[in-house]
Amino acid sequence: MPPVKPMPELDKQNGITLGRILGRGNVGEAEEGSDGVMRATIRIPEDELVYDPGVLIVPHGGVIELELINDDKNTHCAVLPSNGDTQFIWLVNHSKGTATLELDGPGYYWYGSTTGNDEGRGLTGAIVVGGEVPPEAKLDRPPQPRP
Amino acid sequence: MATEYVDAGTAIPYAALSASVGKAPPVAKGVNYDRILNARSEPQNWLTYYGAYDGQRYSPLDQINAGNVDKLVPQWVFQAGNLGLRSGATTYAWEASPLIVDGIMYVSGWDGQCWAVDAANGNELWRYRHASPFDVSLCCGNVNRGVAVADGKVFMTTLNAHVIALDAETGKKVWDQPYGDVRAGESATVAPLIVKDMVIVGSSGGEFGSRGHTDAFKLETGERVWRCYMIPKPGEPGSETWPDDGEAWQRGGANCWITPTYDPDLNLLYYGTGNPCPDFDGGVREGDNLFTDSGVAVDADTGEIKAHFQYTPHDLWDYDSVMEHLLFDLDGQKMAAHFDKNGFMYILDRTDMSCIRAAPFVDRIDWGEVDEKGNVTPLVFPDAEGDPVHFWPGPAGAKEWTHACYNPNTELLYVPVQDVGATATRRRREFKESIPYWGAGVAVDGEDQTGYVSAYDPRTGQERWRWENEHCMCSSLLTTGGNLVLGGEPTGEFNAWNAETGDQLWSFQCGSGHHSSPSTYSVDGKQYIVAPSGWGGWAEGFLPKMLGSSHGSALFAFALPD
Repeated sequence: MPPVKPMPELDKQNGITLGRILGRGNVGEAEEGSDGVMRATIRIPEDELVYDPGVLIVPHGGVIELELINDDKNTHCAVLPSNGDTQFIWLVNHSKGTATLELDGPGYYWYGSTTGNDEGRGLTGAIVVGGEVPPEAKLDRPPQPRP
Repeated sequence: MATEYVDAGTAIPYAALSASVGKAPPVAKGVNYDRILNARSEPQNWLTYYGAYDGQRYSPLDQINAGNVDKLVPQWVFQAGNLGLRSGATTYAWEASPLIVDGIMYVSGWDGQCWAVDAANGNELWRYRHASPFDVSLCCGNVNRGVAVADGKVFMTTLNAHVIALDAETGKKVWDQPYGDVRAGESATVAPLIVKDMVIVGSSGGEFGSRGHTDAFKLETGERVWRCYMIPKPGEPGSETWPDDGEAWQRGGANCWITPTYDPDLNLLYYGTGNPCPDFDGGVREGDNLFTDSGVAVDADTGEIKAHFQYTPHDLWDYDSVMEHLLFDLDGQKMAAHFDKNGFMYILDRTDMSCIRAAPFVDRIDWGEVDEKGNVTPLVFPDAEGDPVHFWPGPAGAKEWTHACYNPNTELLYVPVQDVGATATRRRREFKESIPYWGAGVAVDGEDQTGYVSAYDPRTGQERWRWENEHCMCSSLLTTGGNLVLGGEPTGEFNAWNAETGDQLWSFQCGSGHHSSPSTYSVDGKQYIVAPSGWGGWAEGFLPKMLGSSHGSALFAFALPD
């Protein structure tokens, strides 16, 4: 089997691909406050067309407060999953805002920027919610093997 | 460049960037058990999943009738659309049955969506979207079959196996109760049913080796009232039909992913249960495997199983029996009619679930023989590892989950039929939570398929008429006091037939196939027929020839011209 190459040309716009391939980027973790709310900051670095971290891990379902910072010289947005309705924030160049989300766990969710210049070219992030369902939602059976 | 960031504010709900009103009239406050019990006495509404507890999918409305249905025209269209990456991205379908309460429509879509819509003009009043994990294990696509309404709330299930209550005026969540384990391959697609002060739901996940169950929760708070498992534990009644030295019962299946019907006099809920797991590999689960592939009567107050009839003991063909049990009284007898995936129609005595008669309703059946009392002799089935075996009907069934109907005026049952086979090749695999557990490779026939709508006499089991179609018929049927049967085709046409003769009277091309349950209602004296159009789901399982068809996402409301 040939060695795995890092292929940095995938991690940029107009490298191998036209845009930046979806789902690439750094991994970060939200911090849980004493109030039970999970918080994280997500930035959009200049000319990278990526949310950073691209994959945000939160320990369990609940309320998540995001600080969203656009450090880019172009305008973007974030269309974020949340119970109730999708949440939308417009992020002009060099702007900062917040989003409060309610997400169940376990499972993961995609979000992205739907501005006309962005879609398909990058700026797609994931929120990964860990944990288990509460005991009352589990099946009454002995523990089963998992992959 | 300024060093201070521009204030982008706080993210807002997407609906705020639309014409959605954000509020609906308080019509749902008055919906209670008594009104649902007598739902057919207010035919302007469609108050519960089947229109009434008996599951007949019959409306006495007759403004639109066999004499004028050819003049039917669209009044409005509600478009759901799509946004971003979502669960089951290519498997979504619009499978719901819209409910209507005093001019307001409540309808669910795929991916956790629910709307309140003005039933007279199609304007969106509010929307709710439950965020659905992208990676939830979906048994048969990204679908939801509808909502329930009572006590000022709208109830729905979510892909990640929650049951939620929404404020019917605002669409805001009131309570949220998880009742399934997504790590165990469970999900939820069922339309809830209101009985007394409870909301009743069931589990999906029949291809993932779960242990099927139905659950009841209090309307007001979401507090659990009972849970009923459809696979007994060792020592419980029915456990003798599972290997006593193994783990098969723990992964046995029998999910309840279709809404039960309900007889208030007997206080019994009538469930159809799903396939056993693994679907096609019976060698790891010797025995009849109760209560898989069964009609099961459950006490509505306690969740206790009172009686059952098993349609396909020791299933090796994926013949779920989840589809409805239509309740009606005929010649003084309390009956339940059930059209099974296995190709046979059953008329049961619903007081004890004994079989009155069984008869075939599809032309091609070779998996086995079923006598008139429902006794089964298997003939063709996957047995040896790696040997392909072809059988009719395929795992889609001669009738899928989509519903039959019964018209008390004609005293006939109407059924959408799929005449298609499949080849299964047994491939044993070990069980792991959340991984599909079929025990075979399966390919449903592509070209060699056909379908029809048939009318059956429940007294004799004889077919009265048949309307033949080029493709399998995969939409629920609706019948009315206007001597009509209505339903959609996989190719997008929505049709009306004469209930007595089967003559096709009208058709309208909706642009995407029908895999849903149409409803009817009236507003200010004007009758409407509403049909969700949105092809998809597990089409590779029931009509692979149409897998490439346009998905669509539109809700059509038809009426006569003013």
